[in-house]
Amino acid sequence: MKEKLESMLVTANEAMATAVDEAALQEIRVSYLGKKGQLTSIMKGMGRLTAEERPIVGEVANRVKDQVSKIFDRQLKVLKSQAMKSRLDHEKIDVTLPGRRHNIGTKHPVTLVTEELIDIFSSLGFCVAEGPEVEQDFYNFEALNIPKDHPARDMQDTFYIDDDVVLRTHTSPVQIRSMLKLAPPLRIIAPGTVYRRDSDVTHSPMFHQIEGFMVDQNITFGDLKGILTTFIHECFGKKVGVRFRPSFFPFTEPSAEVDIQCVICGGKGCRVCKNSGWLEILGSGMIDPEVFKSVEYDSERYTGFAFGMGLERIAMLKYGVNDLRLFFENDVRFLRQF
Amino acid sequence: MIVTYNWLKEFVDFDLSADQLSHQLTMAGLEVDFMEMLGAGLDSVIVAQLDSVEPHPDADRLTLCQVNTGMEVIPVVCGATNHKSGDLIALAQVGTVLPGNFKIKKSKIRGAVSQGMLCSETELGLAEESAGIMILPHGLELGSAVFDALGLKDVRFEIGLTPNRADCLSVAGVAREVAAIVGKKMQLPSGDTITEASTTIDSETSVTIDDADGCLRYMARLIKGVTIAPSPDWLVQRLESIGMRSINNVVDVTNYVLMELGHPLHAFDYQQLRGKKIVVKRATEGEEFVTLDEQTRQLQAGDIVICDAEGSIALAGIMGGGNSEIQDTTVDILLESAYFDPISIRRTSKRLGIHSEASHRFERGADIDIVPVALERAISLIQQVAGGSVAKGVIDTYPKQLVKRQVSITPARTNALLGLDLSLERIEEMLNSIELVTQQVVLDGQFALMTTIPMSRHDLEREVDLIEEIARLNGYDNIPVTMPVSRVVRRLKDDSQTITHALRNTMVAEGFNEIINYSFVSPLVWDKIGLTDDDPRRVNIKVLNPLTEEQSVMRTSLLPAMLETITGNLSYRSQNLSLFELRPIFTVVEGAIQPTESLRLCAAITGRKERDGWSQSDDTVDFYDLKGTIESVFQLLHLSEFRVETNGEQPYLHPGKSCRLYCGKLFLGEMGELHPQIQENYDIDQPVYVVDLDVAALLRTKKGEKSFEPISRFPDGYRDSALLFDDNVNAQQLFDVLSKVKVKNLDDVTLFDMYSGEGVSEGKKSLAIRARYRSMDKTLTDDEINAMHAKIVKSLQKNLGAVIR
Repeated sequence: MKEKLESMLVTANEAMATAVDEAALQEIRVSYLGKKGQLTSIMKGMGRLTAEERPIVGEVANRVKDQVSKIFDRQLKVLKSQAMKSRLDHEKIDVTLPGRRHNIGTKHPVTLVTEELIDIFSSLGFCVAEGPEVEQDFYNFEALNIPKDHPARDMQDTFYIDDDVVLRTHTSPVQIRSMLKLAPPLRIIAPGTVYRRDSDVTHSPMFHQIEGFMVDQNITFGDLKGILTTFIHECFGKKVGVRFRPSFFPFTEPSAEVDIQCVICGGKGCRVCKNSGWLEILGSGMIDPEVFKSVEYDSERYTGFAFGMGLERIAMLKYGVNDLRLFFENDVRFLRQF
Repeated sequence: MIVTYNWLKEFVDFDLSADQLSHQLTMAGLEVDFMEMLGAGLDSVIVAQLDSVEPHPDADRLTLCQVNTGMEVIPVVCGATNHKSGDLIALAQVGTVLPGNFKIKKSKIRGAVSQGMLCSETELGLAEESAGIMILPHGLELGSAVFDALGLKDVRFEIGLTPNRADCLSVAGVAREVAAIVGKKMQLPSGDTITEASTTIDSETSVTIDDADGCLRYMARLIKGVTIAPSPDWLVQRLESIGMRSINNVVDVTNYVLMELGHPLHAFDYQQLRGKKIVVKRATEGEEFVTLDEQTRQLQAGDIVICDAEGSIALAGIMGGGNSEIQDTTVDILLESAYFDPISIRRTSKRLGIHSEASHRFERGADIDIVPVALERAISLIQQVAGGSVAKGVIDTYPKQLVKRQVSITPARTNALLGLDLSLERIEEMLNSIELVTQQVVLDGQFALMTTIPMSRHDLEREVDLIEEIARLNGYDNIPVTMPVSRVVRRLKDDSQTITHALRNTMVAEGFNEIINYSFVSPLVWDKIGLTDDDPRRVNIKVLNPLTEEQSVMRTSLLPAMLETITGNLSYRSQNLSLFELRPIFTVVEGAIQPTESLRLCAAITGRKERDGWSQSDDTVDFYDLKGTIESVFQLLHLSEFRVETNGEQPYLHPGKSCRLYCGKLFLGEMGELHPQIQENYDIDQPVYVVDLDVAALLRTKKGEKSFEPISRFPDGYRDSALLFDDNVNAQQLFDVLSKVKVKNLDDVTLFDMYSGEGVSEGKKSLAIRARYRSMDKTLTDDEINAMHAKIVKSLQKNLGAVIR
C-alpha cells in the first residue's frame, strides 16, 4: 500500500508536469484528489486496514496528498503564467494607429486674443464695458474732440448710416458712454467690432479693437507707460523691448504710439517691421481736457489715460498669421489651428 | 512728406548719420516710414570718357565704344544713339548691381567684348524715364563715382505726418525739428535778390478780397517777359530727389518753394487775365468751372474762387483753372501767395474729391506769416531761372491782421501730468528750441511762462498742447515708468458677458469652430434664404456709402453668411463642418436714432459625425446631433424648462424636420434641417442642420443656479418595456406623461429604441423604454420595482393608448 502510494506520487508528478494546459492539469488533479480519484479511494479504503497499519499508511497518504496538491499548485502557477504569456504574445495591436478623436471645437483667434487681453487687464483691476456698433456721430467723433470738417476725420474712413449715425470707427465711443454713466475713479476696457471704409490686403472694412482707459486723480503719463509696459510684457513676454513715441490723436494730449520690438526678427529688421526693428501695436495718450469737458468731468481735478489697439494685429503677431483676410474667410483649415 | 538729408543740411547744420536722424525724427513724433539711400551701392558707377565711338561690325543698332576710366581704356558695347566721342558718361563697371537687381557682367555681344554698361538716368534710378544714356557735364574727374561727382548721393526720408503737424509739411518745417533735436538754430535761405523794373505793380493790376472770412491774406507780384523752358539741372534733381517730376522752370519754382517753405503758390498767365484784376470771392451757386486737369466742376456758394474781371480763374487753394494756367507760350506771370480759411478749403476739396498739395496744406492750416517770404523766394528764383522783369512793389491785401496766440504753461501742471520734475528754466529752454517766444510771469501765484505761438503752429492752443511739446522734446523715453496709485474700482457684473462666455465655451466643447462674418450683407440674401416679402428681417439698416453692394445692409440674421461660409468650405473639400457664430444682429427700431443690437447664436452642422479614420463610422450627422448640442447648451446654462414645439415656421427650414425652441413660455429660436430649396440656392449638395437662437431672450429667462441633489447609496433595478403607440404620438408626449406619474423611486427613463415596419402594424410604432428605480434609503425588492413599473406602463396605456408588445 505504501509503495502504491509512493508510486502514485511519482506518476502524478509526471502527469502534472506534462499537462499541456490548465484543463488537463485539473483533470489530473481530479483523477487523484477528486471524489473518485485514486488517492481519495485509497483514503476511503483506509478503514479496512489494521490499527497498526492505519497510522503509517495514513501518514504516507496525507503526505502524498499534500505533495500532489503542492505539485498541482506549482504546476497551475506555471501553466497560468505560460497561458498568460502566450495570450499576451498573441494579443497585439498597432499602437501607432491614430486614435479615434472627436471634432475639436475652436474659438476664433480674435476671440482668443480678446479673452487673453481681458484676463491681463482684469488682473490690473480693469473691468469690461460694451457699446453699440451702430453709433451716433456725437459719441464716435464730436465728444472725442473730432469736430466735423476737421482733418482728423480723414484718419478714419467712415461708413455712414445717415448724417448723425455711423458704423463706429473705433471703440473709443465706449469711453464717452462709460464716463457719462459713471463717476471717477474708472478703469475700463472695451473690446468690440469696428468699421472703416477701407479694404485691401492690409485693411478689412470690419475688424476688432480693444479700448482701455483709466481716470482718477493724479494719473500721469508715467502711469500710462507703466500699465502699457506691464500689459505688453504679459502679452508678448518679459524680454520684448517697448518704446513710446509722440503721435497724434484728437482725444488724447500728449499722445503716444507704442511700438514693440519686432517679434518676427527680434529687432534686427525684416519685412514685417519694414526693417525698422519695431512694430506699432497701439495708440495711447493722456485723455484730452476737451473730452473731459464733453462728459462734464473736472479736468483740473482728474486726469487719465486711454489706449486702443487692433485685435487682429495682436493675433497676427502672436500666432504669426500673415494675411488679415484669413480672419474673415472662416476657412476651417485656418480656424482649426487655434 | 518727403525730405532729403542734403536738403535739410541747407537749413541746419547737424552731425547725425541718416539712421540716427531717422530714429531721432521718429522719436520726436515725425515718424519716418521709409528711408531710401539714393546712389547706395552704386560707387562702381564712375565718370568715364568716350575715347572713340564706332559702329558695331555685326549689328546696325549697336556702337562699340572705347571707354577711358582714367586708369585704363576698356571696350563697351552700347545700344544708345545720343553719345559721341569725347562725351563724359556714367560707366557701370563689371560687378555693379543696378537698381532692380540688374548685375553687370563681362560679356560678348555679337562677337564684341563688352566690359561694362553706359547708363541712362532711368537705369541709375534717377528718373522715371530717359532718352538715351546720361551725358555728364564736362569737368568731372575721370574714375570718380558718378553720384559723388554730381552731388546726387542723398538719403530720402518719407515722413508719415500726423494731421496736427501742418508746420512740418516742408523741408524748412522738418529742419526746425532737426534744429531742436541737435540744439542749433535753423536758417532760412537768404540772399535772394530781385531786380525790379520801374513800372509798379499797382499800375498794372489790383487785388480785391470780397470775402475776408474765406481769404485772410492775398499777396501778388508780377513778372513780365519770362521764358518758359526746362529747368536747370539743380532744380530738376532737387525735385526728383523727393519724387516730384519736373514740368518747366516756372512751375518747378512754385513746387520747389512749396516743398521748401511749405507754402502753396499759384502762377497765373497774366495775359489771360481779363480786366487785369483779381477778385477773391465765394462762387455762384451752380457755377461750372474747368480746373486745369480739364474736369468740369460744379461749384457751390461756399467755395472760394479767384476771379478776374469776368469770372473764375482758380479754385482758391485747391487747383487752378484751365483758362489761366501757365503754358509754354506764357511770358507774363502774376504770382499769388495767399492764405485761405481751412474749413472752407476742406469742404470744397472733400466735396469735389480734389486732394492737391495745396489743399492738403491749406485745410490743415498754412503759415500766414510765411506768405510774403514764399512770394519773394519764388519771384527771385523765377527771375533766376526764367529771366523776366519784376514789376516794382508787392500787392499785400491783409484786411484783418491776425494776432499771435498767447498760451501760458506752468511747471506744476506739466510735471503733474507727465510724472516729471522739470524746472521753469528747462521748460523755457525746450519751448525756445522750437522757436516759441516765452516770458516768465506769475499767474495765480504760480510761476508760469507766457508763450507766443508762431502762426505756423495751429496745434498749440492750450496749456496741454504745450505740455505735449515738452513731453516730446524731453523724449518719451525719458519719462519714468510708474504704476498708478488709484482707488479700488468695484467690478461691474454683467450677465450678458457671463452668458456669452459660457455659450461660446459650450459650443467649443461640443466640437464647433467659431466663425466671424462681416456684419453687413447684400440686400439680396433675404431672397436667397427664402424670406417672405413681409418678413421683418427684410427691414435693414442701410450703409450710405458701402464699399460694394455685397456689404450694404446690416444683417438681421446670421444665417446667410453662415451658409456662404459652408459653401466656401465645401468648395475646398472641407466637408464635415460644425460651425457657430455668436454676434449681434441689427434691428431697426421705429423712431429711434440707433437700431437694437441683439446677440444671436447661429450654428450649423453638416457631413460626417466622426472625423475620417481607419475605423471611424461613415454615419452622417442629423437633426438629433444638433439638438443634442442645444440640449447641452441649456443644461450648461441651467435652463431646465427647455422644450420644443413641432411647428417650425422658418421658410428656410424643412417643414417636417424643424422645430421651435422654448424655455418655458419664452420663444428662443428655431432649428432644423435646411430646406432643400435653400440648400440648392447655396449650391450645397449635402444636408445641413442649422439653429438660430436669440441670446438676448436667453438673457431674459430666469436663470437657474447650480443646485445639489443627494445621490443614493443603494443599488438600482431597471425594467424594459416595448410599447406600441399610434404613429402620431411623439416622444415629447411620452416624456410629458412620464414626468407626471407619481412614482417616488423612479430615477430616470430612457427611450432606447424606436421602431416601425415589419412586425408592427401600419400606423403604429414601437417605443422601448428603460425605467430605472432606486431608493434613497434601501435596496428595492423585485416586487416593489414591478409594482412601480406597472404603474408607469399603465399611465402610458391610459394616456397615450399604449399597448404592450
